[in-house]
Amino acid sequence: MPKKEAPAPAATEIVPREHALREQIEKIEQESGARAIAVTLRDAETGLELHYHGDRWFHAASTIKVPILLGAFAAINRGELLPHSRVHVRNRFLSVVENIPFRVESGRDANSVVHNAIGKMMRVDELAYHMITTSSNLATNLLLGVLGPDAVSQTLKELHVDQGIELRRGVEDELAFEKGISNMVTADGLLRILVMLSEGKAFSPALSRRMMDILHGQEFNQGIPARLPKGTRVAHKTGEISTVAHDAGVVYLPKRKPYVLVILTEWDPAASGRSQTIAAISHTIYEYLTQGPEDK
Amino acid sequence: MSDPARFVETPGVNESPTFPLRVVDGLTLPAEYRKALRPGEEWKDATGFPRQLPRYFYEIPSWDLAMKIELASHFLLWEFIQVDVREAPPLRTFPRYVPCAITLLAVCLERFRDAVGTLVHISANGGYRSPTHRFSKNATPHAWGTAANIYRIGDTYLDNRSAIERFSLIARETLPGIWTRPYGAPTGFAEDHLHLDLGYVLSVPRDVKN
Repeated sequence: MPKKEAPAPAATEIVPREHALREQIEKIEQESGARAIAVTLRDAETGLELHYHGDRWFHAASTIKVPILLGAFAAINRGELLPHSRVHVRNRFLSVVENIPFRVESGRDANSVVHNAIGKMMRVDELAYHMITTSSNLATNLLLGVLGPDAVSQTLKELHVDQGIELRRGVEDELAFEKGISNMVTADGLLRILVMLSEGKAFSPALSRRMMDILHGQEFNQGIPARLPKGTRVAHKTGEISTVAHDAGVVYLPKRKPYVLVILTEWDPAASGRSQTIAAISHTIYEYLTQGPEDK
Repeated sequence: MSDPARFVETPGVNESPTFPLRVVDGLTLPAEYRKALRPGEEWKDATGFPRQLPRYFYEIPSWDLAMKIELASHFLLWEFIQVDVREAPPLRTFPRYVPCAITLLAVCLERFRDAVGTLVHISANGGYRSPTHRFSKNATPHAWGTAANIYRIGDTYLDNRSAIERFSLIARETLPGIWTRPYGAPTGFAEDHLHLDLGYVLSVPRDVKN
């Protein structure tokens, strides 16, 4: 699939100061058995940036829900939606392949709140919350149905964070998946969005904070947060299908500025150890950022 | 259910002593409402046949009142006016307007409820919705207030052929002249609810003189 070139630094840009960190990530990658790993980092405390295969494209899985969250708040910012605007909860969507209807299987969602509301209505902010915190696919497709993929893509363009993000369809569209039509992301692309959110620059500081609050509610914590010390807060979004496992978020350690970290991984369907690999990379980066300069 | 609200007299020229809602001529409403409701205008159905939209509406001053007004023994007004963000913005806030034929639909649904012997749930966007609702592509009886999408009856979700066809048959046997959408995925069919309607019925209350 031809992809747009991201303007970010080259795939594996090496600054001398990052060399040791890069070597450690390479070692984890080699030992993990993953097909591919990409890691991008921006540390607001030290100014350190790392782009390890940052422009490699991956199937987005549920990390595409972060751009959709941005699209929902863009509509709120424009006054087209209110956080309490109501959306009809209906489990019927049209595939991008010939408009064939499909449903989101209830067993594929981690909680049943949205499925239990079928026939009724839920608020936009409730759907956004479930889309992120428990990765509800039904909530995601409902929001996307109201917003429209084109409007979300337009929002990304207007915010200059469209490179490295390709939103092509809703989730659970199996027909599209079989035809190779999938949402795609790069680690650099997700990093740009999360940096903007963490710096309060998405629409307004207040709206950015609301999106960050939702990301802070994440309930799947086996990736980036798993091996970080107690007291660390992580606003993040995971994504997993048979061949990829991702985590992308903002890490808040006590008494220092946050760092934004995106870890994308690709695997053989039968491979194991995905969450452990993401957690190991996250821990390595944590150690690197919190050690004294002489240790590095 | 007996609630005082049902007998409250509200100001208005066309009021009924037993029904608290004022009848309004849609053509006298402010421009933003006329644009959304298109009172009395022609609107083509899916076959290209022109249908005349309702001109007379009940005015609903508040959600609180909609929660209290019985249109039939087991159906309150609010159940027929649940719309989401796809409805035209002026029609998402109160006062709201609903075609006078909504009372006929409620009576039919009450009879249907008697036949099925349990609760009948109308879905969001499944009662009255205006011709400018984003779901309204061609003339649909929903914009006449004479159609209902039912997603659940008792504990049965109508999201499969068996349930939809079973209750569709009951509706057609119980309500002479009712139309139900056949089960299926293409446009014109329904696979996740039971659609039933009375057609493009216009209701003109007796008080209306012009």
